[in-house]
Amino acid sequence: MSSSPNRLLGVVFGAVYVLVGLLGFTVTAGVGFIDTSGGLLLGLFEVNILHNVAHLLIGAALLIAGLSSVPAARSLNTTVGAVYLVLGIVGLFLVGSTFNILAINAADNVLHFASAAVLLAVGLGADKSARARA
Amino acid sequence: MSTVTRTWLAFAALGTGMIHLALVISSPLPIAAVLLLLGVVEFGWGVMTFMRERIAYPRWVLFGALLPILLWGLLTAAATALQAPTVASSLGLTALGLATLLELFVAVVLAVQLRRGVDFSAPSRMPSAGRYLTGLLIGGIAVAALTTPALAATEAGVYAQPHGEHSDSFVPRVGTTDTSVLDLPEHPGH
Repeated sequence: MSSSPNRLLGVVFGAVYVLVGLLGFTVTAGVGFIDTSGGLLLGLFEVNILHNVAHLLIGAALLIAGLSSVPAARSLNTTVGAVYLVLGIVGLFLVGSTFNILAINAADNVLHFASAAVLLAVGLGADKSARARA
Repeated sequence: MSTVTRTWLAFAALGTGMIHLALVISSPLPIAAVLLLLGVVEFGWGVMTFMRERIAYPRWVLFGALLPILLWGLLTAAATALQAPTVASSLGLTALGLATLLELFVAVVLAVQLRRGVDFSAPSRMPSAGRYLTGLLIGGIAVAALTTPALAATEAGVYAQPHGEHSDSFVPRVGTTDTSVLDLPEHPGH
């Protein structure tokens, strides 16, 4: 696994997002499921309950794919990267609006864009010679 | 060239491409057309650079990185000379300023590599997975930290966010003379 950037990234990002999802619950006491404003993780990144759940699900998916095989990790990294890119763009419109069901703030947008960039770069660019090998 | 460096260039291209695309809706038509073309080419080149092992035609890429800066400069100079400042001011400073930083990064890296005589036909060198991911993470965060505020500063970003945290019912809409929302309820005692 340590020789495949996609599997390594899947496992690391997956574990981090699961951790972030769990930690998010420590700052969202009293925050509603889709409240447009929530608690601040690390004093910077705004989250609500739905956002925490999303982090847990995405993290679990990345982790499982990373532990499975290179093709699975590549596909999921690329897919999640594309989703984060769209979320980053949509997030610019959601900040401060009544549709902000994920309680996204500006710091969240930076993190989503950065995650998208890394996931897409690795998903599209790495492990190209290991198409079918696990 | 290291794969990390090549990926950083791709990140910068994605960032500047998105900034140019975000400026399209707020610009006059001729400028919007140029921005659209630049944005699509830059974003496409960025994605392609993720997927390919090497950078083809580096001198053209270097020119392409400097071209938006040159065009912005010429537009501002022309607007000043013709005393029509609104032509260039529609573009604002923050978004294009940050895009310029990203373009300069690409240009400087390519210029240095060309000067050193790096063989661009050879595939980029892949470091160990750990170093590769660390390098990508640093580059991704740096480019995102520049691109996100630039996008928010564009008209698309400004339109997207209501001004301040007030609810719409409190703030009278621009252009209306309806101030009934500011009327206080009746209170006795006067």
